[in-house]
Amino acid sequence: MMRKNKLDKSKLLALGDRFRIYILFGVIFIFMSLFAPRFFNSYNLTTILRTVSMNATIALGFTIVMICGEMDLSIGRTATFAAVIALTLQKKFGYGISVPIAVLAGAGVGLLNGILVAKIKINSFIVTIGTMTILQGATYTITGGNSVSLSGDKVFAISDFLAKPLLPMLPPRVLLTILFVVVFHLFVSNSQWGRNFYMVGGNRTTAWLAGINTDRITITAFILSSTMAAVAGILFAMESSAATLNMGDNSLMYVVSATIIGGTAMSGGKGGILRSVVAVLSLEMLYTGTILFGFGNEVKIFISGLILALVVLYEAYASYKHEKTIGQRAVLLEELAQAKEKI
Amino acid sequence: MNGIQKVDTRALQTNRFSKLLSSIGIYAIAALFIVLGVVLQSMGIINNFLTTQNMMNIVDAVALLGIVAVGMAFITYSGHYADLSAPTTIALTGIVSVELLRFGFIPAIMGAVVVGLIIGIINGIVIGKFKANPIIWTLAMSYVSMGVIRFVWVNKQIYPDVITDDPFPVMLFDNIYRFRFFNAISLPLIIMLVLVVVGQFILKRTAFGAQLKLTGSAKRTAKFSGINVELMIALAFIISAFTTTIAGLAITSLSRVGAYYNGAGYDFRAVTAIVIGGMTLAGGRGSIIGVLGGTLVIGLMNNIMTLLGVGTFSQDIIRGAIFILVVGINAKTLRSMGRDDA
Repeated sequence: MMRKNKLDKSKLLALGDRFRIYILFGVIFIFMSLFAPRFFNSYNLTTILRTVSMNATIALGFTIVMICGEMDLSIGRTATFAAVIALTLQKKFGYGISVPIAVLAGAGVGLLNGILVAKIKINSFIVTIGTMTILQGATYTITGGNSVSLSGDKVFAISDFLAKPLLPMLPPRVLLTILFVVVFHLFVSNSQWGRNFYMVGGNRTTAWLAGINTDRITITAFILSSTMAAVAGILFAMESSAATLNMGDNSLMYVVSATIIGGTAMSGGKGGILRSVVAVLSLEMLYTGTILFGFGNEVKIFISGLILALVVLYEAYASYKHEKTIGQRAVLLEELAQAKEKI
Repeated sequence: MNGIQKVDTRALQTNRFSKLLSSIGIYAIAALFIVLGVVLQSMGIINNFLTTQNMMNIVDAVALLGIVAVGMAFITYSGHYADLSAPTTIALTGIVSVELLRFGFIPAIMGAVVVGLIIGIINGIVIGKFKANPIIWTLAMSYVSMGVIRFVWVNKQIYPDVITDDPFPVMLFDNIYRFRFFNAISLPLIIMLVLVVVGQFILKRTAFGAQLKLTGSAKRTAKFSGINVELMIALAFIISAFTTTIAGLAITSLSRVGAYYNGAGYDFRAVTAIVIGGMTLAGGRGSIIGVLGGTLVIGLMNNIMTLLGVGTFSQDIIRGAIFILVVGINAKTLRSMGRDDA
C-alpha cells in the first residue's frame, strides 16, 4: 500500500517535471494578470507577443543545436549582423534583394560554424566564441560603428504592416513567428530528420553506427540556428526600420536561459521546440512584469542574469546528482533507507 | 617482422607546425612581427613604429593583457577553456575599488580583491564541484556581475577624485598604472613579469602544477590517482579571478573611471593569446612563458594594425579568424598525430 503510494508520488513528480514549463507559464501568467498593473489588457499582451517574436524565432534553431548536444553562442550577433546587412543593402537594392542576401549570410555563418564543429571537430563553444567576435567586427565594419536606420514611405509602410494587428492581438510578425513555430515543431517532432537530431545529441556514436550521417546532421543544426537568428534579426529590424549595433546582444542570455528552462538539456538528446517557445514567452512576461511593477531596466538586467545563472546551476546540479546515483538502483537505495530507519 | 613488434611512432613525432607554435617558437613569430613593423616603416607605409613611445605603448598594453592571460592560462591548462567573466570582473572590481576609495587606498584594494576572490570561488565551486560547463557558467557569471553593477550603480560612471576629497588615495590610485621605475618600467609590467615567473614556476615545478596538468589532460585518471580534481579546478578559477582583479585595478587606474564597460574584450584577447602561445584548449599542454609570447604577438599585431589604420572593429575580425585558424590547426594536427583533440 505504502509502496504504491510512493510510486504514484514519483510518477506525479515526473509528470510535473515534464510539464514544468507549462505550469511555470500558467503561474507567471496568472500572477502577473492578478497583480501587475496594466498587464492584462490587449495592448500590453500584443506588445509582449511582438517583443517575444524575435527571441522565440531565435530559440527555434537554437533549440535544435542544443538537442544535438552543441552550443551556438553566436546567435545574438548573427541576428544583428543579418539585420545590418538587410538594412544597409536595402538603400541600394530594396528589401526584395537585401533580405534574401541577409538570410543567406546568416546561413553562411551557420555553415561555417557547422563545418568547424563537425569536420574540424573543434568544441562548439570555442568555435562560436570565435565567430561571435568575427561577426561583431564585421557588423561594426559594415556600419562604421553607427546604427542603421531607414526612412521613406515604402519602408514605413512595411513596418506598419508588420506591427499592426491583423487579427486581435496578432500582427503579421507574430503570425509569421507562430507559423515558424508550427513548422519547426512538426519538423523536429514528426520527421525523420527531427528524430536524427535527438539521436545525434543522445549518443553520437550510436547514431553513427545506426547509419546516420552525424556530421551532416550537426551542420544542418547550425545552419538552421544561424538562419533563424538571421530571420529574427531581419524581421525585428524591418519592423522598426532600424538596426542598432547591440540589438541582439541580450538575445543570447535570453534564449539560452529559456531553452534550458524549457527542459532542453545542454548535454543534448532532450527537449523540444514548443517548450523553448513557451519558456521564452514566460521569461518575457516575467521581465515585462518587473517593468510594470515600476522597476527600472537595470533590475531587469540583474534579474535576467540571475535567472541564467540559476538555470545553469540547476542543470549542473541535477546532472551532478544524477552522476552520483548512476549505477545505483533506486529500489536498492529505498531498501537501504528503510533499513536505516529500522535501526 | 623478425619478432619485433612495430610500434606506431606517430604519437612520438613532433609536428613541425605545433613545434613552431610551442613555447619558444612563438617568440620567433613575435620577432617576425617586429621585423614586419620595421620593414613597413622603412617602406614608409607606417610611421612611428620604432619609437620609444610606441614601444612603451606596446609593452604597457601587453602588460595589462598579460596579467589577465597568465591567470586565465591556469584555467586553459586545467582543460576548462576560458573565463568569460573576466571583462565584468575587471569592471566590477574596478568600480568597487573606486567606490571604496573614500575609505582610503588600502580598503579600496582589499575590497576589489575580496570581490574578485568571491567571483573566483563561486566559479570554482560551480565548475569544479558541480561540473557546469565553464563557458556557459562564466558567461552567466558575467551577466550576473553586469547585473550587480547596473543594479547598484545604474549607468553611472564614478570618478576617483569625485568620490573623495582627500587627494592622497586618489594619487596612489592613479599611480597603480602610471608609476614608472626609472621613468620607464611601469608597475603593471613588473607585476606581469612577476606573475609570469611565479606562474611558470607553479605550473612546471610544483606538485600543484603537475596535478593540474594531469587534471587537464586526463581528468578521470587524475581522479583515480587520488588528486582532488575539484579543488584543482577551483584553484585555477580562483587564480584567474585574482590576476583579473589586479588587471581590473590597473585598467581602472588607467581610465580614471569606474564604469561597467571597463575591460570589454579582454576575455577573447586573453584566450587568443593563450592559444597562440601554445596552450591547447584540450588542457595540460603549454607553458606560461609561451602565453607571454602569445600576449606579445597579440600586442605587436594590434599595434601594427592600428598604425596601418585598420579600425578597432576590423581588428576583431582578424583576431577572430586567427583564433579559429590556430585552434583548428592545433586540433587537426593533434588528431592526425593520434593524440587527443581540442
